[in-house]
Amino acid sequence: MNDRTESLLLALPGLLLLVLAFFMPIGQMLILSVSGPDGVTLSHFVRFLSDPFYLGILWRTVRLSLVITIICAAIGFPLAYIMARVGPKLRLWLVVMVILPLMTSVVVRTFGWMVLLSRSGMIPEMLRDMGLVGRSFALMQTEAAIVIGMVQVLLPFMTLSILGVITRIDGRLEEAARTMGCSFLQSFRTVVLPLALPGIVAGSLLCFTLSASSFVTPNLLGGTRIQVLAASIYKSVTQTPDWPFAAAQAVILFAGILLVLVPYIKMTGPKDG
Amino acid sequence: MANVRLSSIKKSFGKTDVLHGISLDVASGEFISLLGASGCGKTTLLRIVAGLESVTAGGVEIEGVDVTRLPPEKRDIAMMFQSYALLPHLSVSENVRFPLRMRGIGSREEQAEKVAAALETVQLDHLADRRPRQLSGGQQQRVALARAIVSRPKVLLLDEPLSNLDARLREDMQVELIEIHQRLGLTTIFVTHDQEEALSLSDRIVLLNGGKIEQEGTPAEIYSQPETGFASNFIGSANLLPAEIIDGETGPVAKFSDGQTLQLALEVSARGPVTIALRQEDLSLDANGDGPKAKVRTRVFLGARNRYVLGLAGEPLRALTANDVEFSAGQSVGLSIDPQRIRVLPR
Repeated sequence: MNDRTESLLLALPGLLLLVLAFFMPIGQMLILSVSGPDGVTLSHFVRFLSDPFYLGILWRTVRLSLVITIICAAIGFPLAYIMARVGPKLRLWLVVMVILPLMTSVVVRTFGWMVLLSRSGMIPEMLRDMGLVGRSFALMQTEAAIVIGMVQVLLPFMTLSILGVITRIDGRLEEAARTMGCSFLQSFRTVVLPLALPGIVAGSLLCFTLSASSFVTPNLLGGTRIQVLAASIYKSVTQTPDWPFAAAQAVILFAGILLVLVPYIKMTGPKDG
Repeated sequence: MANVRLSSIKKSFGKTDVLHGISLDVASGEFISLLGASGCGKTTLLRIVAGLESVTAGGVEIEGVDVTRLPPEKRDIAMMFQSYALLPHLSVSENVRFPLRMRGIGSREEQAEKVAAALETVQLDHLADRRPRQLSGGQQQRVALARAIVSRPKVLLLDEPLSNLDARLREDMQVELIEIHQRLGLTTIFVTHDQEEALSLSDRIVLLNGGKIEQEGTPAEIYSQPETGFASNFIGSANLLPAEIIDGETGPVAKFSDGQTLQLALEVSARGPVTIALRQEDLSLDANGDGPKAKVRTRVFLGARNRYVLGLAGEPLRALTANDVEFSAGQSVGLSIDPQRIRVLPR
């Protein structure tokens, strides 16, 4: 047995799992999305794309995912920089703090937010007491609630992606920039930011895909009135139930995420040299 | 006028004192070397001049202006790092233009001219569009040098810039550094642990040991008149032997612990226990010589020379000879040395 067949054998269980657990369901979904009562049909796609209600859901999903990704990057990049530049002991504690939310279940975390954000919850109450908002102010069942909840869930992914890249940036590059006339902020912008870009891109990708396909948090914090695509798919399956239409929506979500991936991969792909 | 003035600089990291009050004036246009073993504080001192490190006490002046509390970007300096610290996402010419751009020196066209001139100085004008990682170590080093001189800083700081190069390139770069310094006349502070580098490049050498100035002077002074055991050992790696000076029949002689004696120069006035510094290249070995006898321990062939390690009065003694001088291990040979070349140091 030569090395090639040996490594093929070693890869076989993983490949089988991938085929069984990933390609088969996706293929099934693709077939389902174009199957009608009398053979192949695109009617499910037409129905989705011609209905303003569903287009609104699609637009909301994309818009919220973008906002969540941008906020995660805006918080995650400075946080990752600080984590990379402090001593190893403090860094360990910061890493633990950042990944701590990942160690509790999404449902538990989201219920925590529901308690905090509800009409009589701590945050609206505090804002009302400070006179910053009116009596009718609510946070639950708004897009803001979804963004808050999702940023908390996704921040670790962004922070850790960027942290990995920043720790590999030689600190002397910043010192060199300082001796060449950069203020701290200028060296941050001209040296750290461009060199950390691959990490920011990778983190944004993770955040965008995860938030575009997330279901539990938007559903619980946004309520039934503010639907995202994943929730709409769920509803089509459980309430109507219209499996082909659910499959068509899933394909649209899948294709949308792939569309975002392409330019990112091009951007971070191998460069000259 | 002093271009850089350091007044009783002290620096501690936590409980460790790294610099114990260093005062130093660097004249305008002078090339000065901070020489010392690793951990002597030479790099810390350079970083203090750059503003990358704060002082615990003391002050830094550049051209009469107190810059002790100024951040690095407000001091008109340029620094070349041991690792070169080229910005990997910028091309060679963008790297060299970086200090001009950040300091806002000149228009775009003037900057391009200066970059071209600086790259020409280091003979790299043909590689201007490459990225740093596409260059060899020696080329990267030249880019770093071009970037350091392009803005004509008041002070040029060099942190062991040659230590990552192989021997051949290092010699070429030494010559280039001397020429560039002569041409531009930049006040230069050069940090190195290599005594040869310091001797060949500098107008003045400041020898640091344990966070203090051990000795300072021109290369010739430091080499021929080391004032302490450390200085004579570090520069020219002289042999240090304990001895006692007594009056012999022909003037003062050094008596070693095994009773053998070595003739000293007549003007040596010290008597009693001292340390004798014998430079390895000043010793000559002769199988039938009449000086003190030493036993050959090992021979190291260096190509152009032989280095012998001998034993004298229980102390190791190194001597450089021509490469055709051959002795066998265990052989007893006579030492001779010009009495004028023996340094007598207080013990």
